[in-house]
Amino acid sequence: MADQEPRKQEDAPGSELGETARQMRAAEPYISAVWKLVGGAVVGVLGGYFLDRWLGTAPWLLLGLSLVGIGVGFYSFLHAMARLGKRK
Amino acid sequence: MRKAMVLFACLFAGAVWASDPAGEHGYANEDKDAEGEDVAGYILHHVSDSNEYEFEIPLSHNHIPIHLPQILIPLKDGACTPVADPHGGGHGEVYPGLGAGCLDLSITKHTVMMWLAALLLIGSILIWSNRDKTKLVPRGAGANLFEMLVLFVRDELAIKNIGKEEGPRYVPYLLTAFFFILFMNLLGLFPWMATATGNIAVTCGLALCTFFVTQAAGIRAAGIGGYLKHLTGGVAPWLWPIMIPVEFLGLFTKPFALTIRLFANMLAGHIVIFFLLGLIFMLRNPAVALVSVPFAFGIYLLELFVAFVQAYVFTMLSALFIGMSVAMGHHHDEHHEGGASHDHGKAHHLG
Repeated sequence: MADQEPRKQEDAPGSELGETARQMRAAEPYISAVWKLVGGAVVGVLGGYFLDRWLGTAPWLLLGLSLVGIGVGFYSFLHAMARLGKRK
Repeated sequence: MRKAMVLFACLFAGAVWASDPAGEHGYANEDKDAEGEDVAGYILHHVSDSNEYEFEIPLSHNHIPIHLPQILIPLKDGACTPVADPHGGGHGEVYPGLGAGCLDLSITKHTVMMWLAALLLIGSILIWSNRDKTKLVPRGAGANLFEMLVLFVRDELAIKNIGKEEGPRYVPYLLTAFFFILFMNLLGLFPWMATATGNIAVTCGLALCTFFVTQAAGIRAAGIGGYLKHLTGGVAPWLWPIMIPVEFLGLFTKPFALTIRLFANMLAGHIVIFFLLGLIFMLRNPAVALVSVPFAFGIYLLELFVAFVQAYVFTMLSALFIGMSVAMGHHHDEHHEGGASHDHGKAHHLG
């Protein structure tokens, strides 16, 4: 992938972090998984609505893209959850 | 405390009930409604932004209006011609919005407040920062107060949320945000001043600064490739057309929360104070002042506290978001090292 800086050796990584920061970092993958579930539907519905308005094809793109968005949301949510489960 | 609150509520309810004598019920109610609208209009006028700065003279109905310069940039020819006020009010001319091609860059009340906050901030830092390198210990209350706040932002916010290595890099931004917000919040508590942070455009601008710093921190930590890979959400390429907009919108949820939190907190406190005082006029009973003035004073003290808390919360969350963005970038290294650190490993987005 991209160029990365050589990682410096830390003693006990994250030990200087505050409690909130550690908890937020631990929760971040789950928060982002939830956003994927919701965001898929949001992007599908909004995208369909505005494409419909632009192309004048109401209500077909709205219906189609909503379903696609909800489907992708579920898929990416389950995908993320499966990966999180594997890492444990 | 709860007993005191119940007592206050009873007194308050009593005042409301007492001020509504049964005899003149019908007529008085209509009148009160009109008065109530007046109070609401007055409050909204005072908390919202405007092109005019008003100095009210205490104990009189006079005020000195200062008209601030209007700067209108037409993006289309003749887009900035004034239109008739749709509400029919006598508040001068109304100009078309950005949608009609008129870019309004006028100096407003809140802009003046931001400048004033910036000037006071620069001034106080110049006075109270310890620039004399031969003296290591700051002297005086002001210098010590500033040192305490600066150290707090560095040690408790930056290092605890971003980390020992990367934290100090973002301290200048966090300090700027903290003090600027603090000064704007506190300025709003002085007579004749306005709260710039009670304007959603101002808080949105501040949150956008945090947003750009967060993204820059992410790109810096993960490299542009890692950053872009993060945007794809780690799913198969044929899902990217949907996943990339989803992840892109997801980036804005955090600054959106920052915007609304600061704006709503600062605006709500001021409206509550105004309404508590406005009750005296809405209920047309001077006795209400016995309840509403202490209440308003209490809320005012709370506002003083909130001014600090909101500056702290904004800075803390900015640091938290920057820290999460930085942590995202470190994942790839760990992957190659075989997931050496468990604590960090959990923090990473891509598995």
